[in-house]
Amino acid sequence: MSELTAVGKPIQRVDAEEKITGQAVYGYDLVLPDMLYGKTLFSPKAHARIKRINTEKAKAYPGVVAVVTAEDAPWTHGETVKDKPFLAQGKVRCIGEPVAAVAAEDEDTAEAAVKLIEVEYEDLPVYTDPEEACKPGCVEIHEDFGKYRKADFIVKGAAPNVAEHFKLRTGDVDIGFKQSDVIVEERYFVPIIQHAAMEPHSAHAQFDKESGRLTIWVANDAPFRALHEITEALGMPKEKIRFINPLQGGGFGSKGGLKVEPIAVALAFHTNGRPVRVKFNREETFISTLTRHEAVVYSKTGVKKDGTLMARAMTIYWGAGAYAEKSPTVCIRGSLPAPGPYRIPHVKVDGYAVYTNKPVAGSYRGYGIPQGAWAGEQQMDEIAKRLGMDPIAIRMKNMFVEGDISYWGEQLHAVGLKETLVKATEAIDWGKPTKTAKPGVKIGKGFACIQKPTRSPTTSAAGVLVNAKGEVTVLAGTVEIGQGCNTILSQVAAEELKVPLERVHMHQLDTDVIPFDASTTSSRSTYHMGNAVRRASIHAREQIMEAAGPMLEAKVQDLGYADGKVFLKDQPQQALPIGEVVRRKLGIHGKVRGDGSYTYEIGKDLDLETGHSDHASAFYMYATQAAEVEVDEESGRVRVLRMSAAHDVGKAINPLNCVAQIEGGVVMGIGSALHEELVIDNTGKVRNPSFLDYHLVTSLDTPELIPIVVECPEPEGPYGAKGLGEPGLAPTPAAIGNAVTDAVGVRVYDLPLKPENVYWAIRKKKKDAA
Amino acid sequence: MKRTEPFEFYQPASLQEASRLLKENGPGGRFLAGGTDLVIAMKEKGLVPKYIVDLKRISGLSGIREQSDGSITIGALTTMREIETSPLITKKYSFLSQSAAEVGSIQIRNRATVGGNMANATPSADGAPALIVLNATAKIVGANGDRTVPLEEFFRGPGQTVMTSDEILIELTIPKTGPRLVGEYIKFSPREMMDLAYVGVAVAYNLGASDKKCEGVRIVLGAVAPTPLRAKRAEAALEGQTLTETLAEKVGQIAAEEAKPISDVRSSADYRRAMVGAMTKRALLNAAAGPAKSWVERRERRY
Repeated sequence: MSELTAVGKPIQRVDAEEKITGQAVYGYDLVLPDMLYGKTLFSPKAHARIKRINTEKAKAYPGVVAVVTAEDAPWTHGETVKDKPFLAQGKVRCIGEPVAAVAAEDEDTAEAAVKLIEVEYEDLPVYTDPEEACKPGCVEIHEDFGKYRKADFIVKGAAPNVAEHFKLRTGDVDIGFKQSDVIVEERYFVPIIQHAAMEPHSAHAQFDKESGRLTIWVANDAPFRALHEITEALGMPKEKIRFINPLQGGGFGSKGGLKVEPIAVALAFHTNGRPVRVKFNREETFISTLTRHEAVVYSKTGVKKDGTLMARAMTIYWGAGAYAEKSPTVCIRGSLPAPGPYRIPHVKVDGYAVYTNKPVAGSYRGYGIPQGAWAGEQQMDEIAKRLGMDPIAIRMKNMFVEGDISYWGEQLHAVGLKETLVKATEAIDWGKPTKTAKPGVKIGKGFACIQKPTRSPTTSAAGVLVNAKGEVTVLAGTVEIGQGCNTILSQVAAEELKVPLERVHMHQLDTDVIPFDASTTSSRSTYHMGNAVRRASIHAREQIMEAAGPMLEAKVQDLGYADGKVFLKDQPQQALPIGEVVRRKLGIHGKVRGDGSYTYEIGKDLDLETGHSDHASAFYMYATQAAEVEVDEESGRVRVLRMSAAHDVGKAINPLNCVAQIEGGVVMGIGSALHEELVIDNTGKVRNPSFLDYHLVTSLDTPELIPIVVECPEPEGPYGAKGLGEPGLAPTPAAIGNAVTDAVGVRVYDLPLKPENVYWAIRKKKKDAA
Repeated sequence: MKRTEPFEFYQPASLQEASRLLKENGPGGRFLAGGTDLVIAMKEKGLVPKYIVDLKRISGLSGIREQSDGSITIGALTTMREIETSPLITKKYSFLSQSAAEVGSIQIRNRATVGGNMANATPSADGAPALIVLNATAKIVGANGDRTVPLEEFFRGPGQTVMTSDEILIELTIPKTGPRLVGEYIKFSPREMMDLAYVGVAVAYNLGASDKKCEGVRIVLGAVAPTPLRAKRAEAALEGQTLTETLAEKVGQIAAEEAKPISDVRSSADYRRAMVGAMTKRALLNAAAGPAKSWVERRERRY
């Protein structure tokens, strides 16, 4: 391959100026002509039957155009289990569940009218603990689970409220533990957190009776999947539904699936063709969109004296909240790699996705990896301590390397893990003495390693248009959620067509026009869509060269291509710019279109009894992060002093963007390690649904960050690239947890490591010692 | 954010006019100064005041002045940012400017006023403990004349003060202090900034030049009682004594006993109480060590 011209370059983001200057229009900003304003009535009850809904007063309120309940929208949806009504049907399962909605001429009218809707509830038992909710005798939160339509791979648990039971069985853990010299067993807990994207959720919808077409404007991270879900729910033909994606102000997993869309759609059928906008405010976003799974992780690890891992058994209760959403797949893809990136002969994992009466949990950057790592990577340190081994040495001894067969039965390649471990720990001067702390303040270091699969198998398709001016338009279904895909994909097109980046333009996402893409999730876009755009660009280039042959009176094999021009190989000065070729071939309004798609084919499907698969993921992302922390023993306050993060990205298409992804991930990870926790009481009420008491980190809480890009090329990836979006925060809490233990000799098993939690742990140790 | 319900809005140009308006309209009104609490209460928490009196057209209500008797007056409309950056305050009472610097963000501090910070009477208000340890007084004008009350007696409970509905807080006065006065304010909260105090501790005392004895000890706790709370037993334990680390620890423990914290979503009462002890100790020792020279140094000293 010729030298790369655009790929691998630290190019500033193509959307930077538009966003920094405030010109960008996000979904939340969008105003449509003649638009109505929607407002939602949310359930104040965590689990209750709806005995009666009276909407008469709301309907009679001046300025109200439509009031809808489940009677008007008798549909359900769900990515893997069709359990979620557009609006509550007969019962509510969490506080914040949408029950009814109003569309009115202005926002205040909608808000006033929604308060006039009367609902009578009859209380049912409330379950707020995933471990409790699956105990024998518990009432099923979804009594009709058996009747729901659901994906083939769903394995309903035997216990109450278990929506999915994932099993991984490798070797025989009983034998493994018998052969072990040291066994460590512990319970770990990760609380519910929320994505807290800068832009809250909103959706616009319009239904045109004459054409029978439904249009939805929403910053959804997977418009084609949303389209499919709406189509299935409504029973409408796919061709009649169109999703248009305005810019998304961050999502981190919270803006996939259907969130506000069903409410907007339900209203749109009753507004005589006028578009309706439904916006959630911050509190509504906290309680009624999506959260990250709380997880109770029981982990038991057996090891030989020399540090060889023998067996690992894990039982994970994933708190799914009121509806299944992505819980089954988080349960599968979070539980499967939870034992960590290590060779372990005997492995047993049971993952349970358990319904509770809490806000719905689903995808969150990292997709179950942080929860498993919080347990597994802290336990690795515990084992090392018990053996008197260095935490690096025990991992080096057991970690995956090129060609290993993983405990789920897949042969691994492109494993850059070791390099991440070496570089991340070196970056914080591992093993060297730390600076002296003040009295009462202890300094410690720790690190954690992770592996992360991506959603597989999936497809991405793309189109590339070249016009008569030589300008390139890319049609790609990847959503710019703030991650930088427009820059990355522009670089790929610029690379293959050898044009300057300024000549490449990304078309707005519109499902009527743009080729199919599975989703902008799971760190899959650079790899899948990168391949698709690359193929589409090559396809366009080939057509241009084909057309240029007669123009240059040469055969295609005698033509060269460089710098946006087709030329004669033996007379390079005889060259035609690609725009000129298009003009001569198709006229000044002509466009050459190239198409390309990429599908990662898996071999055997996941075996439901053993959890084994010979190709569970298109690629694996590996990372190690290392933290140096300061712990104030008197207050329990933890401050991260510096944090290195080494990530195997395969190939950095844009090193600048990779660094930004890593830094953004680490900062988010620090928040989840030290501060973030959605506090929900035993009535199911969220106690801190605002930024006053839901603490995100500020710039002052952010330590010195040391991002490190490791490149272990993935042969199937475009230019060797893998993905990077999610892992940035996955090892962070475990690394910080290990550093805290190194500092104060106390392990805190429950996140977050907020001062109070650390304080009581230190106090307990002092008491025990006394 | 919700559009507010209609309300009467007055912009008096003088205190007399303001007093007259309050008398005519009766209870149920609210003052508008910086608006950082009031506007949010109206737009997000459903507060519907009967009427609003904007104080910003009244001249003479803002600014920091040193008086001929050595006292310092701070107008009620002085912003928290002004207190934070005032050369006079920074030089004489750096811990007071620091307490102002702990409020919200710079943008908030550019709007928020010290009068609002007091009159809103949030138990965690950062400005109150530091002003109370300085023996500040509050000047209140009303239809029935002016009065001056010690700030220590100004607060009655969360959102409640001694003021009646026809009175206006116009000024705070810090009486002259001796040259040996030292002090400190520590705000303890999990996040470095943009947070509410879980515990706030202000201390001030005169530090003997040679004998290092502490005199005129004042210790005031924030966020651990319905109002800012003087830890009088703790003060007495230090009065006339030479400060040592052991004594500071003991005084802190007494202050912890005096605190009356509650448990809420932020913290348990037990933890708050323990932090009163730890932070009081640190505040006393920091005060003796002299003012922090930089923000970083100040942050380090909280640990």
